[in-house]
Amino acid sequence: MSLGQALATSTAGLRATQAALALTASNVANADTPGYVRKTLTQVTSSAGASGVSVRVDAINRELDQYLQRQLRTEMSGGAYADLRAQFYSRLQSVYGAPGSASSLEGVYNDFTTALQALAASPEDSAARSGALSAAQILAQQLNSMSNSVQGLRSDAELGLSNATQQANNAMKAIADINRQLATSVTQDATAATLKDQRDAYIDQLSKLMDIKVVETDHNQVNVFTNSGIQLVGRDAAQFSFQPQGTMTATAQWNADPAKSTVGSLVLVSPSGGTYDLIANNAVRSGQIAAYIEMRDQILVEAQAQLDTIASSMAQALSSTTVPGQPYNPMPQSGFDLDTSALLPGNTIHLTWTDTITGKQHNVSIVRVDDPNALPLKNDATADPNDEVIGVDFSGGMGSVITQLNAKFAGKVNFSNPSGNTLRILDDGLGNLADIDAVSATVTQTSLVGGTLALPFFTDATSPYTGAITSLGSQSVGFAGRMVVNPALLADPSKLVVYQSGGYTADPARPNFIYDQLTTASLTFDPHSGIGSVGSPFSGNLPSYLRQMVSMQGEAADNASSLAAGQDVVVNALQGRVAEGSSVNIDEEMANLLNLQTAYAANARIMSAVKDMLDTLMKM
Amino acid sequence: MTISGVGLRSSAMVQSLVDMRAQLADLQRQLGTGKKSQTYAGLGLDRGLSVGLRAHLSALSSYDSTINTANVRMNLAQSALTRISDIGHESKTNIAATSDVSMQIAQQSARSGLGEILGLLNTQAGDRYIFSGLSADQPPVETIDHILDGDGARAGLKQLIAERNLADLGTGQMGRLVVSSPSPTSVAVSEDVAGSVFGFKLAAISTTLTGATVSAPAGSPPQMSVDLGAVNPNAGETVSFALNMPDGTSTTITLTATASANPGPNEFTIGVDTTATAANLQAALTNAIGTAARTTLAAASAVQASNEFFAADTNNPPLRVSGPPATATSLVAGTAADTVIWYTGETSATPARQTATARIDDTITANYGMRANEDAIRRTVQNVATLAAVAFSATNPDAQAESSALYDRVRPALDAPPGAQKIEDIQAEIAGAQNSLAAATERHKQSSATLSDLLQSIEGVSNEEVAAQILAMQTNLQASLQTTAMLYQTNILQYI
Repeated sequence: MSLGQALATSTAGLRATQAALALTASNVANADTPGYVRKTLTQVTSSAGASGVSVRVDAINRELDQYLQRQLRTEMSGGAYADLRAQFYSRLQSVYGAPGSASSLEGVYNDFTTALQALAASPEDSAARSGALSAAQILAQQLNSMSNSVQGLRSDAELGLSNATQQANNAMKAIADINRQLATSVTQDATAATLKDQRDAYIDQLSKLMDIKVVETDHNQVNVFTNSGIQLVGRDAAQFSFQPQGTMTATAQWNADPAKSTVGSLVLVSPSGGTYDLIANNAVRSGQIAAYIEMRDQILVEAQAQLDTIASSMAQALSSTTVPGQPYNPMPQSGFDLDTSALLPGNTIHLTWTDTITGKQHNVSIVRVDDPNALPLKNDATADPNDEVIGVDFSGGMGSVITQLNAKFAGKVNFSNPSGNTLRILDDGLGNLADIDAVSATVTQTSLVGGTLALPFFTDATSPYTGAITSLGSQSVGFAGRMVVNPALLADPSKLVVYQSGGYTADPARPNFIYDQLTTASLTFDPHSGIGSVGSPFSGNLPSYLRQMVSMQGEAADNASSLAAGQDVVVNALQGRVAEGSSVNIDEEMANLLNLQTAYAANARIMSAVKDMLDTLMKM
Repeated sequence: MTISGVGLRSSAMVQSLVDMRAQLADLQRQLGTGKKSQTYAGLGLDRGLSVGLRAHLSALSSYDSTINTANVRMNLAQSALTRISDIGHESKTNIAATSDVSMQIAQQSARSGLGEILGLLNTQAGDRYIFSGLSADQPPVETIDHILDGDGARAGLKQLIAERNLADLGTGQMGRLVVSSPSPTSVAVSEDVAGSVFGFKLAAISTTLTGATVSAPAGSPPQMSVDLGAVNPNAGETVSFALNMPDGTSTTITLTATASANPGPNEFTIGVDTTATAANLQAALTNAIGTAARTTLAAASAVQASNEFFAADTNNPPLRVSGPPATATSLVAGTAADTVIWYTGETSATPARQTATARIDDTITANYGMRANEDAIRRTVQNVATLAAVAFSATNPDAQAESSALYDRVRPALDAPPGAQKIEDIQAEIAGAQNSLAAATERHKQSSATLSDLLQSIEGVSNEEVAAQILAMQTNLQASLQTTAMLYQTNILQYI
């Protein structure tokens, strides 16, 4: 009977309208819920009996542009990466202090040189002496505290990395959970749409942490991969494992060899239990995690290396003296005798010899090393780009040193030990394959009154700073955090002036030497700090290195913040675009509401018409 | 920071409001601090330059403070040197004006002059003794009491002069000479001991006596003689004995033959024959040498003792008479324990000026060190001290001759010999250093102004500009806020 059909159809219409109304209410209610995607409803006609056509709700749709969403996620990774970098850089900037302020490194450095000037003008004045020493202490403390701050930042990065992995683990687990729930529901109902909203929120969260690829598959499933193609989430979620380091020091550094690495490494544990080192494989290239890793292992390590370079250059500039080789020519051989008694671990013997066949002059730096595990040394162990570095283990005595050295030169240059600590370096005599041009040694002065102007002004806690290399690394690593003014000098400030026993109390020679070394002496700086390169290291005086460091750090921080600002604009614009498509427009909803009201009234009107008609029928 | 979208409203709009607010706050900070940025990052590309400029400015200001310190010291040195030079001149004038009776007065004023000079040499600038060379924390000279009178076991100048006086005059007060008569007609004079450093030294002998022959100094100990031969000399003819004295001066004793039976000083009576004449000559010679020893030699001895006392420093202690003075024949170096060493400052091969240097520019240093024992200063101290130290007894009939011999030596010595350093030379050198200081100050003023301007242009902000920006920003922000508010209010709900 078609009246009945009409009644049934209008009932279906009312149901559909109610569903649509409920959806509108939900849209309006969630208008301000972050991540909420506007839902629409798909109505389809359904046949009802022979002549009737009815209506039913087929699906709840999410109004979402998936291409836009994918792009947004990529940019969000980049945005989060840039923001975090900018934030760290800006904190790092505060380590360098305000330009020209008393707390900036350049400020305390200038104060120190000013105090040295005053000392040179009045060497006998005990106030000038203690003034110079306290300025030096402030400088050392400033470097100590800057080094601490940099390590504090690294520690924060480590902690941040730990938190980020927690978050990522939660998000990946949640995505997998939702995947499983959606797999069981076949209809596109409101529950499914809400679950998808949630899943998108988790994926967004994950994409802020790292760069991911999201692939949608059948049955409402998504698979999440790293950009390098490692699966993070499928039906099950992989998990990150990260063991953070409690306290961070300059010597704690990441190493591809897990046995040598002293900071936490990020390992992906797949659902099947396989492991994959994300840092070693450089698998995370964007997002907060990448920013944390970059900060912890590169930028902050480099910032520390710059401070260490300043500290070690200052210490060495003031304490290094040269021991000349004494010519020794027992014809037909000729060469030099060199006294190595003052040579400390890290000190260098400079040997220049010419290969007479090729005519090539070789500069050889023979570095004293007391830890055989540190050998062999790389060519960049010294800042000099033109030398060949040979590390020699001195712990076995001169006999062993001679053996090690002779093994390196194939008879062209001959080493022997005539007596004591004397190293005799001779050419090959009648063979005429080589000529020894020059021999000298750079040694670290350890006495305050050794008769030279050089003095161990700054020390590594209580031991002298010589730049010694051991299997744990160079003494320079973290030296900025450990350097102090030589306690012996603090105990007797007159040694700032008197450089030999019986020296004069008003002799300005040593104060002038210290001042010159710290202001005008040209030094070559270790390229590992990111200033200068191994092939052409930065060379200049200490203030110019300081200038370079501040300049480079400022530039990097400025770039990072511009990058972050630019990325913010992109992310904001994309978010705007996504929001335009996906967020709830109240005006639109209200207009819909009017429509629905009318539709509801119309359906109800049909029902009442059918009732009237049925009543009429009954009255007949 | 990005902000998640809030419904319909564009998050970008909210973001821009937040950014504007932050910019406004930053502009306000700029206005308050006058600085473009609180970090190096915010300074722009010139951040490296700003570090360099500040280092340069700091160096300039430390040069300036060095210049101030050095200038104070040099000014003090100049006035001290001027006064020392004046005291030298005054002493000379006093000597010229001295008549016999006021011998004491000249000595008194010399003593007070010496006290003043020593006080001036101990001048301190702050805690620094400016005349001490490299040992600026030690006074450069001893006190006047120690120098003149000694200090306990340490002998002073007066004692050294007295010892030397005994040694030079010898037991018989003959200036260590022996007059003899080797033959009846000859008279000889010889030194008492070969190689002795004390007393007269024979230089030459000459004569106009008719028939006489002389023998030049020879032998060991040296002897010179005159033999009158067989013919008596005529009256008015002379024989001259030239003698050298310890201070490098010399004197000549000329004896004149006279017919008078009562010869005056430096005359001898012609006797009946040459034997008698020789005896007269010997007596006259003995007398004349005795007089010369007590007067001229005594003065020369004092001057030499003073020479040795003031030539000393810690590395070269003064030479003193070795053994009992009257019979001593050599000098021996004193020690710091038995002799006052007047100069207590530093002594080394470093030139005096270079013992204090002021770095007044990147590459310029001014040298202004001084030592109290520099030649010019020492000469003044020494001669004034000699005047003050030699004692003349009022009862000594030779006192007048001795003092005049002393004055004759001291007066010219107060002036520098040609080519030697004068106090004015030191002053000129210091003045030269002061000139370069003044020039450097002037240069620094100009560079400092230029560099500060440049630094200000990198780091600073113009208040007018910032204020204008704040106004513009305020207008923008207000307009944006109003527009945003309007947009938020415009809603279909208002109309249904």
